[in-house]
Amino acid sequence: MKNIKLKKGLAAVISTALIATFAVVSSSTAQAASTCTDEIGLDGKSASVIKYKKCVGTDYQGANYEIRVPSKFNGTLFLYSHGIRNQVLLPIIPGVNPDGSYSKVRNMPDVAPGRTVADQERNAMDLLGQGFAVAGASPRTQGWAVPEAIDANLNLLETVKTQFPNMKKVVSWGDSLGGHISQSLSEQFGVIDTAVNLHMAGTAKAQFDYAGDVFWLTKVLFDPTMKGSGYTNRFPNDPDGYKEFLGDVTKSLTVLNALATAIAKNPVAPEWPATATNIPASLKAVPVRSAILLLGLLTGIPTQSQTYDASSGPAGPLETTFGVAISPALAVLENYATALALGVVSYYDAETRCSGVVFDNTKTDYAARLGDNGDIFAAALSGKTATNGLLSFLSPLNPAAPRVKGDAKAIECINNQSQYAGKITVPTITVSQTADNITPAGYIQKFKNEYAKQVASKAAKPGLLLNIWNKPPDTYTKFSATGGGVTPAVPTAGTTHFMYTNAQLMTLAKMAATAAKTGKLPSVKTARAAFKSDASIFIDPDYTPALLPQDK
Amino acid sequence: MIRNTRMKRFSIVSVVATVGALVFSTLPAQAADPGVSAKEIVLGYSGPLTGSAGQVYGKLPGAMKAYFDHINANGGVYGRKIKLVVRDDKYLPTLAATQTTNLVLNDKVFALVGALGTATHSKAYAAASLAKKNVPDLFVNTGFSGFADKAKYPTTFTILPSYAMEAKIMAKFIKDTPTLAPQASFLIAQDDEFGVDGVNGFKLAGHTFAAPATLYPQGGLSAALAEGALTKLSAVPGKPVLVLFGTTDSTATILKAAEKLSLVSKFNWIAGSVGGDANTLLALGVKPATINGILAASFFPDAKDATDSYVSAFTSINTKYNKGVSFDNVVLQGMNSAMLTVQSLRAAGKNLTRTGLIKAIESKGAGFASAGLVPLNFSGSSRVGYNGYWFGQLNEKGELKPFGGKLTTYTTDSSSTSAPTASSYERKPVPKNGVPTNS
Repeated sequence: MKNIKLKKGLAAVISTALIATFAVVSSSTAQAASTCTDEIGLDGKSASVIKYKKCVGTDYQGANYEIRVPSKFNGTLFLYSHGIRNQVLLPIIPGVNPDGSYSKVRNMPDVAPGRTVADQERNAMDLLGQGFAVAGASPRTQGWAVPEAIDANLNLLETVKTQFPNMKKVVSWGDSLGGHISQSLSEQFGVIDTAVNLHMAGTAKAQFDYAGDVFWLTKVLFDPTMKGSGYTNRFPNDPDGYKEFLGDVTKSLTVLNALATAIAKNPVAPEWPATATNIPASLKAVPVRSAILLLGLLTGIPTQSQTYDASSGPAGPLETTFGVAISPALAVLENYATALALGVVSYYDAETRCSGVVFDNTKTDYAARLGDNGDIFAAALSGKTATNGLLSFLSPLNPAAPRVKGDAKAIECINNQSQYAGKITVPTITVSQTADNITPAGYIQKFKNEYAKQVASKAAKPGLLLNIWNKPPDTYTKFSATGGGVTPAVPTAGTTHFMYTNAQLMTLAKMAATAAKTGKLPSVKTARAAFKSDASIFIDPDYTPALLPQDK
Repeated sequence: MIRNTRMKRFSIVSVVATVGALVFSTLPAQAADPGVSAKEIVLGYSGPLTGSAGQVYGKLPGAMKAYFDHINANGGVYGRKIKLVVRDDKYLPTLAATQTTNLVLNDKVFALVGALGTATHSKAYAAASLAKKNVPDLFVNTGFSGFADKAKYPTTFTILPSYAMEAKIMAKFIKDTPTLAPQASFLIAQDDEFGVDGVNGFKLAGHTFAAPATLYPQGGLSAALAEGALTKLSAVPGKPVLVLFGTTDSTATILKAAEKLSLVSKFNWIAGSVGGDANTLLALGVKPATINGILAASFFPDAKDATDSYVSAFTSINTKYNKGVSFDNVVLQGMNSAMLTVQSLRAAGKNLTRTGLIKAIESKGAGFASAGLVPLNFSGSSRVGYNGYWFGQLNEKGELKPFGGKLTTYTTDSSSTSAPTASSYERKPVPKNGVPTNS
């Protein structure tokens, strides 16, 4: 483990203030005490007994943490950062918050990644069985809580170092926003030996531009009564702003439901929802599926989803038409539903965090954004004439599609949340889905580009980034007897914001531990060999996913 | 001691290097690029084998493979046999991207040949990182002029004349043909880059249609839409010229609508090269009497013209290596692309590399033997294959005969307003036994 440099973080500022203010208080207060117990567990793979010490506690900033160190500790710690969780509270909403999970702030730590809670536990035990320690923290404040999470991790590392001085190396990993946190921590504090970022979130600007574009297009195309941004009194429990936010959640769900119903009724020429009151009759002659696809192409929502591969069609006369013109739109709709639901919550949180509108599209040229996709998806967009009509409707000159003016201070605020910049100094591995709807593949390309710039300017060292991709099968849509797509029980590999298999995560862990020890990444050849039997993984340094439209 | 050790190491290295040089000098040079060994060159094709487009173009890879088998039976290319890996993309952009990526990453092909379609291949080109990997992308079957952009598609060579060229030559043909020039003309076109390229070509030629074009999205031309359009145009006096700028299935939909409305003889029909394949039209149920008299453009000899030396040579190869498959325009196109590929590989020399292949086509491609009746235009600055057309008239048998009994070819470009010019191009003779010997 490297020396912790507490120079930049919020923790440094706050801890300095605490020392000054409460100088008489015992020094142990600054480093909250852990409660440690001796535990015995079973390695899920070999079923052998594992003895380990488990320590839990809350640091002085209110972050909860958990540490597990095996009796035969090999000196390497896996520090895990979980993904974004809601700071904004939601009522019980079927399909969105059915069990009330989002009705409270959840800041219990996780110590390992996994598809389910059981998988997370299994992976933690598997790592412990191999002699690795595992740990994780969760800050008191959630949402886009990058600075808070970094501080929590720094505090946690101090605690581990104090209690387990034989810790030598730290692998930082995290998924989604946790990947972003992991990378930011790695770049800014020099305390990490290897970073593994699982479907890593983009920069704040990229993520909130993505969300902002989705809301704006949903509003202007499908329901102009949506607020979309600029919520009044941006505090979660303030009646006015909170009501507006909940109103948008409800309206979003209504739009999504109407779109899904229309397509189910007539997939070739589905009608526009009744709430699309601003759309002129001439544009309503365009099947609404084309508007959905256009929304996806203009925002960066993938055209493949867990159900729809943008190629297959049900056997029969519609087979080719479905593959060309309908499947890509249905894929966008399926991805859009999740992205919109998560985006509404996180966007409102961002406005709350930074006290203003964090999205600005006053200068966005949506027509230019379409680029080659206008040709590639011409059939699905119902032709150039229809596409141009829809793009004209989005023109800044159209009063029916008013643009969003951002708040400069709020935008500056959200862009200064301790985010990464591609200054890679230790072996770093990214793993992402090629058709991820929450953190699209283009974010990783942007990260690659930023890293290349940093290398060129000698702010980063070359050869320290390995990008691994999880892709879907060539074709995968299954159809019911009535011709509808059948959503798989487990999301299709390479699609959605899908967690990796336990086997994939353990292979990554092995790579990361070796890299932490040697200071070097595995070669592409070695990495490919490690995933040789895994058809969904591919590693190609030349693979260049399209940047998000907002990043072009 | 140090000096001795160093000298010893140097001596060992020298010996190894010398032995290595001796060993390797007896073998064909090994290229570093994927898909090439001392015995084999692996090429890849992604295109429609199934689905509606597969009905039209499904014969392409079989024709290429048959020609490569013929070359392999005659010694290959400098001793290397050509292997063609074929993947079905059903003419779907996303699947084309996947299959092209599979060809490059899994099948480790040296180059791609004959990819089909604009939407499909433009998505595939980016997705499979063809530019970054420097994968030669030979003889793409689309007339989209965008593929001529060398900066964007640095490894691509197209084969078809652009749709804009075709439109310019159509405009000239209408203007120069006394029976057509006085008639009002109309355009029914696909509403995508295909149709837009065509519309731009007509504009460049200064041709004015009597009404705005009837546009429809690919695959979106219903019988009702076609019947509506024809009914409207039937009120136009005289025998209007009706230009059909779409795929063959759309041409078939329009012609069947004309049959239903008894309007076949009402119009002077001009079908674009993409949508005017007689065999496909007949296979799609258009009556022989309907296609009789349709004007159509081509840059190849008619596949039914047994007197043409290339048709004759390719027919023999097809009979031997593509058993059971009838020889038609698609087979002709596939074999011609394969023959150009073989000449390209030969021109690149024994030490075959991707960069060498691209350079060879740039420097020598314009001189390759080809079935085309118009010149090839490959050069350091041009990635465009053919640049012209001749006009013919279909008969009931589906044969395309030169209009007015005399074959006249025209050449032009995609972007200028200069008029097409009659070409004096004389193609090279078909290589002996159909096997190129160029270098």
